Amino acid sequence: MELTDIIFYIFALVTIGSAMIVVFSRNLVYSAFSLMFTFLGVAGLYVLLLADFLAVTQLMIYVGGILVLMIFGVMLTHRVVNVEISSGAMRVIPATIVVGVFLGTLLLVLTRTKWMVMEGSPDVIGTTSMIGTALVTDYLLPFEVSGVVLLVAIVAAAFMARKR
Amino acid sequence: MEQFIHDLIGNDLLATIVWCVLPLVFILGYAIVAILAEMKSASWFQDRLGPMRTGPWGIFQPFADVLKLLMKEDIVPARADKILFNLAPVIVFVGAYAAFAVLPFASEYVGADLNLGLFYLIAVSSFGVLGIIMGGWASNNKYSLLGAMRSAAQIVSYEVPSATALLIVAMMVGSLNLQDIITAQSGGFWNWFILGGPKSDVVLASGAVIHADIGNFVFLPLLLATFVIYYLSALAETNRTPFDIPEGESELVGGYHTEYSGMKFGMFFMAEYANMFLVSAVAAVVFFGGWQSPWGITLGEALDIPVLTLLEGVFWTAAKGFFFVFVMMWLRWTLPRLRVDQLMYMCWKVLIPASFALALVVGFIVVIR
Amino acid sequence: MNEIIQSSLSLLWPELTLTVTFILTLFSQFALRKAPMHSGYVALAGFLLAFLLLGTQGGSDASVFGVMLAVDPFAVFFKYLIIISGILVLGFSLQSEEIRNNAEHAGEYFAFLTSMTLGMFLMAGASNLLMMYLSIELVSLSSYVLSGYLRNVERSNEAALKYVIFGAVSSGLMLYGISLIYGLTGALDIYSMRDVLATGAVMPGSWAFATLVAAVILIIGGFGYKISAVPFHYWTPDVYEGAPITITAYLSVASKAAGFAIMIRFFKVAFLNTVSADGAWEVLAGMNWELIIAVISVLTMTLGNLVALWQDNLKRMLAYSSIAHAGYMLMGLVVATDNGIAAIMVYFVMYLIMNLGAFYVVMVVAQKTGSEDIDDYRGLAYRAPWVAGAMAIFLVSLTGLPPTAGFIGKLWIFAAVLSKPGFVWLAIIGVINSVISLYYYARVFRNMYLRQGDEEKAQPILFGSRTIAGSLIFAVPTIVFGLYFGPILEWAKNSVTLFLR
Repeated sequence: MELTDIIFYIFALVTIGSAMIVVFSRNLVYSAFSLMFTFLGVAGLYVLLLADFLAVTQLMIYVGGILVLMIFGVMLTHRVVNVEISSGAMRVIPATIVVGVFLGTLLLVLTRTKWMVMEGSPDVIGTTSMIGTALVTDYLLPFEVSGVVLLVAIVAAAFMARKR
Repeated sequence: MEQFIHDLIGNDLLATIVWCVLPLVFILGYAIVAILAEMKSASWFQDRLGPMRTGPWGIFQPFADVLKLLMKEDIVPARADKILFNLAPVIVFVGAYAAFAVLPFASEYVGADLNLGLFYLIAVSSFGVLGIIMGGWASNNKYSLLGAMRSAAQIVSYEVPSATALLIVAMMVGSLNLQDIITAQSGGFWNWFILGGPKSDVVLASGAVIHADIGNFVFLPLLLATFVIYYLSALAETNRTPFDIPEGESELVGGYHTEYSGMKFGMFFMAEYANMFLVSAVAAVVFFGGWQSPWGITLGEALDIPVLTLLEGVFWTAAKGFFFVFVMMWLRWTLPRLRVDQLMYMCWKVLIPASFALALVVGFIVVIR
Repeated sequence: MNEIIQSSLSLLWPELTLTVTFILTLFSQFALRKAPMHSGYVALAGFLLAFLLLGTQGGSDASVFGVMLAVDPFAVFFKYLIIISGILVLGFSLQSEEIRNNAEHAGEYFAFLTSMTLGMFLMAGASNLLMMYLSIELVSLSSYVLSGYLRNVERSNEAALKYVIFGAVSSGLMLYGISLIYGLTGALDIYSMRDVLATGAVMPGSWAFATLVAAVILIIGGFGYKISAVPFHYWTPDVYEGAPITITAYLSVASKAAGFAIMIRFFKVAFLNTVSADGAWEVLAGMNWELIIAVISVLTMTLGNLVALWQDNLKRMLAYSSIAHAGYMLMGLVVATDNGIAAIMVYFVMYLIMNLGAFYVVMVVAQKTGSEDIDDYRGLAYRAPWVAGAMAIFLVSLTGLPPTAGFIGKLWIFAAVLSKPGFVWLAIIGVINSVISLYYYARVFRNMYLRQGDEEKAQPILFGSRTIAGSLIFAVPTIVFGLYFGPILEWAKNSVTLFLR
């Protein structure tokens, strides 16, 4: 086993382990914080896949942005106002069956399907400039449209949050 | 530098560990100096002597403080959330420390020469917020929670202008690699980005060329404004005065670390000082030429002594960084604290629009020149 | 690259106009603090300009920015539908008291209406899975806010929240489907996707094929949510009931049109081998997704019609009726011929007129009586004969009886279904459903004409001439297109051309 393999398994373990805590923890705040480790693990996996830009973006957006917002939301509703919100378990047996079937299907799909393998070049150092070029050439339209989508989202958020 | 350590130690694993721990040694040493500097500068600004008893001229005061922190009882409040309470200071410190990995101290000494260095730095510096919220929440104390909330809101908001300001320079260099940014400023202080960037063409390590056919004087006022935006946001991100609302002791006792004592408090403290140096060093790297000497020549290169070049680089990085840390202390005793609404106004209605406008203008000039 | 961008932009005038209109409308509210409703005229001007500029796209059969966005007769047809209903809904909004009473934020209201229209324009042409997702998301985000526009009305807030939650789930499903398809074919644009499928990389009976089926079903989840097909329809009744009537009308027509456009394009382009001379599609071997859509179609119309029977709120009833109509239209896609698509398009023209008309009447009546209950329509024919008459025409048309527009729409759909061997059962189910729908439409009719209202509700309701003219704008074409439909048929038949690389 090479060093990268070991590192891969460490990251995978961190990702899956913390994801389990996210799902199974009864305490919403624990779930939120362990989500941080899930994101970190995924970022690590991206690094191993040579997707450095994606990894840092993952850190920036998910850990630095979304997670902070989520924790804010959880904490503002949890301790300050004293509303008990813990995620309980309901209808365990049907849920287990559904999830089991779904998991089985996914595993079969993942392992049995012959996926399209794209040609990659392992000697690429840094994907940033490639991504940048793609964004303003081939993907210019989606890039601009996502700008409009984000503008709509931010105006919408301000609209919804404004005092009545 | 890394090779040098490997050769010195011989064992690969051990050498890697030493390589990873080096910045920690630096932070420890720096923190000791900074604590004393903070106390002394505070007292001078207020026309008093400051600590004078511990050792000659109070020089051992920081050591005494550290010892005190180490020996103090480590109290965990009974109603606190034990796991998160213990984890929080670690995460805050890890966030600060992780950023040091890409900080270039000298041309040959940078922990990890990432192509994405600047972007990584911005991303990792947002990491500490989580630790702060975690600590504030786990303390189960309303002052801690309020402090953490304020702190998080402040850091998340001010990340926008500071990142935009840094990206303006990255746009001019065409690279996010911190060494590239420093190389672009070589040749003397008039080539630093604070003074408009390189005045003649520069070839980067990757072979890319930064053109300077318009002399780059147009950038001078723009980049000066950019630097001001960056430095103000950096003050806010490190919770320093005049943006120290999260720790405003007159309102919140001590902010998110109210319940912390002993070495856990020490870690928060260290992280804060490390962050101060970090943002100052980034200011030095991005706007003030990093490890380059102001006159563009190094004694080490002139005499062909690599070790001297290395030391010179570390010296300039540290000197520039310390200078901006000192400015932070200076501001602390000069400016009054902002109110929360003023703080948010400053960010969302002044700094962010200004930084976006600057990014537009600079980007436009970079494209058409 | 610059030439590509320039030539692409020159084909996108309407979209660019709408983008600029969105920003202008947003900022116009700062200039129009005193009269916020006037932002609506800014948007209206932009819509009219976009309508005119749509002419520049006529006749082009191309794709811009690589193969991101197709500009072909098919897309242009749907864009006309969308912009016409957009203009009409803007007209509604300027008259709507719901909006007037909350006029403070009218600027945002009209801006979101514009961004929603822009998103639907993009949906009509999107030929890349990424663009499809983004355009759907643009429409969804705008409509979430619009359905919650009446912030002091509880059910409006409820509508927005439910819409967001269902929307998030369905875009999650769709994204997952897209990722599976990308894994199978390595392509995001549907043309390359077809090329890969045509090489036989995904053979029926293999695991990859099972994955493809799963992915397509997941993607149908995204589309089905936009056209409110069962089982992705759960949001529809609550959102239609809670949202401002103007938005309900817009969602029921334009948003659905865009959803159908994107769905038809996806299925036709991605799985099509060739189109034979008579317009029948020859589908790639093994890609027989007709049955999936047929099942969804049957479920959709049956559930829509059956549940509509029990509704007492007219808006809610029209919501279920719109679900049922989506089911009828899906039958046209099952046929998988150009004729079937043309039938859907004809149906949409008719549906636009009659459905918008019905919502218009609901809006003006609610403004006078303060109620959307079917029971409160008792005796309306005697209190407001013009408006009730118009409503009667819309109801007849929605049922699909001659001599109205709705009849023509249904006629072509059923004719198309019957032309496909083996799907007679589908047409029979469709007819049975039409009969069921007669019951609940007739109930409103009966209340208006055959029953007397209570004493205090017997006074005539006086509508202004603008309102009566407004309802005639819809009522007259509903009759006219039921008798004289040649041009619409021609237009639809000429517009079935999709850009095929």
